[in-house]
Amino acid sequence: MELQDLTIKKFHQGLIDKKFSATEVAKAFFDYIEEKDEKIGAYLRLTKDLAIDQAKQVDIDVAADKKINILAGAPLAIKDNILIEGGPTTAASKILENYRASYDATVIKKLKEVGAVFLGKTNLDEFAMGASTENSAFKITKNPHDLERVAGGSSGGSAASVAANMAVAALGSDTGGSIRQPASFCGIVGLKPTYGAVSRLGLVAMASSLDQIGSMAKTVEDAAILFKAIAGEDEFDSTSVDTKYGDELLNPDFNAVKKLKIGIPKEYFIAEGLDKNIAKAVEEAIDGLKSLGFEFKEISLPRTKYAVSVYYIIMPAEVSANLARFDGIRYGQMSNVNGQKLNLKDIYLKTRGDGFGDEVKRRIILGTFVLSAGYYDAYYTKAQKVRQLIKNDFNEAFKEVDVILTPVYPTSAFKIGEKIDDPLKMYLGDIFTIPANLAGLPAISIPVKQTTNLPVGFQLIGKPFREADILGIGQYYESGPDRI
Amino acid sequence: MTKNIIDKKTLEHLAGLSRIELKPGKEEKLLKDMEDILTYFDELKEVNTDNIEPMAGGVIQKNIFRDDETSDKRQATSDKLIEQFPEKENGFLKVPGVFADEV
Repeated sequence: MELQDLTIKKFHQGLIDKKFSATEVAKAFFDYIEEKDEKIGAYLRLTKDLAIDQAKQVDIDVAADKKINILAGAPLAIKDNILIEGGPTTAASKILENYRASYDATVIKKLKEVGAVFLGKTNLDEFAMGASTENSAFKITKNPHDLERVAGGSSGGSAASVAANMAVAALGSDTGGSIRQPASFCGIVGLKPTYGAVSRLGLVAMASSLDQIGSMAKTVEDAAILFKAIAGEDEFDSTSVDTKYGDELLNPDFNAVKKLKIGIPKEYFIAEGLDKNIAKAVEEAIDGLKSLGFEFKEISLPRTKYAVSVYYIIMPAEVSANLARFDGIRYGQMSNVNGQKLNLKDIYLKTRGDGFGDEVKRRIILGTFVLSAGYYDAYYTKAQKVRQLIKNDFNEAFKEVDVILTPVYPTSAFKIGEKIDDPLKMYLGDIFTIPANLAGLPAISIPVKQTTNLPVGFQLIGKPFREADILGIGQYYESGPDRI
Repeated sequence: MTKNIIDKKTLEHLAGLSRIELKPGKEEKLLKDMEDILTYFDELKEVNTDNIEPMAGGVIQKNIFRDDETSDKRQATSDKLIEQFPEKENGFLKVPGVFADEV
């Protein structure tokens, strides 16, 4: 068995053909991770006991010739801001170092029900705030393609684990690009679903109007399989929607998919800082799709350039509210607070002063500022209005086209340390991924087929709840015209 | 020189409101970063937003109602939630006096 060849699809076939058992594969992954992850740093911790228990149950079912789900036994990596009951979930923050999850996130509950295996919890920027995993309180995840470069972020650990064959697929979360950008940097597929498609219960909240959990995988087909398994309405997330995704997610009708019209928003290609190699790679993807028969049309999303400002006002505002709960009173307390006879306010100040990293503090304080009396209208309300205009731009564009194609990030993976001291520079890189979050749209990063050393992804943005369109085009692109 | 959007005193006030103790030596960098970021936001002033309603998020905009009753679906986990309290007594969260200056 070659781990690097395993996709969800191939693993499932091997399992039902009894070429290997789920337990054997899980153990092989742990051996491989122990050898390889020291250099890469994708995982914060492994969940071996849980994984072996899960795998054994699947093997019992296979031995009894029971029908098993396509994800049964599949070894997955889980971003460490998603709760798995009984174990730590740190969100890569010191403030949650002593926290043990009290319940399973809905996505975890769903994956347990279909028999998926969880290998471990992956590294991220603290509370998913960052684009490089350099903001993790514990370690930096390296890019498997070049260890001097970042894996991207915030779901950098999940992306690196899949890219380095240390998991078959992974879950990430995406608030402003945190699934798609690391997927692009690491050469894998990353899907951010429509806002509301996947329950957020058990996801450590960052910015609640933007956060979505999504799938990261080696193929678009696998991303679709994992997405279908986690999607659906949840009574404990009032923003989740009963979407009733049908068979088209997994078995697209390529003759229908081929008729989808793809829009190219000119503003994304004249953006400041777009590396010419990226522009060229995205052109290659466009040419590839054209040769498959897709029709393209130039469109305009005129308010794109304001997306960074809008996002970096709205997101910190929500962050400042969401992270108020980490006060040293209700969750794992900082050890240095224990035993000191501090009054309540000093417990707050000390716990949060010691427990949060620089980026988290910056966003909480920025959020507190834009929500404060005297500035609320000028910043927060203004940003909410421009957010509506950005959404309106997409609504107009989707009258002309079915799907929008753009770059994912202005550059390929940057060097570790290159941007970390300049937050504004780091923020500006999010220009192509943020609009889909602001407008609540599904978007996917797919590796461009090319031969240069660093991977590059292109992005497809779909209409609300039309994941089938972007996944369909993606599956057609990755497998070529022979699929029909 | 244009007036700064945010000064040291405001920053310290915001940090206090956010219940974050600022570390010595970190303030100046934070102040500069905040100023850079807030200055960048100035571009929003050029966007005409007359008669535009603020968008709070989400794709489907509808209110969600439920009966104002406790659900026992999650009761099973309440003990587990209490387990995570750093200090507890008889199933209650133990907190120092809110208005007490001294413990």
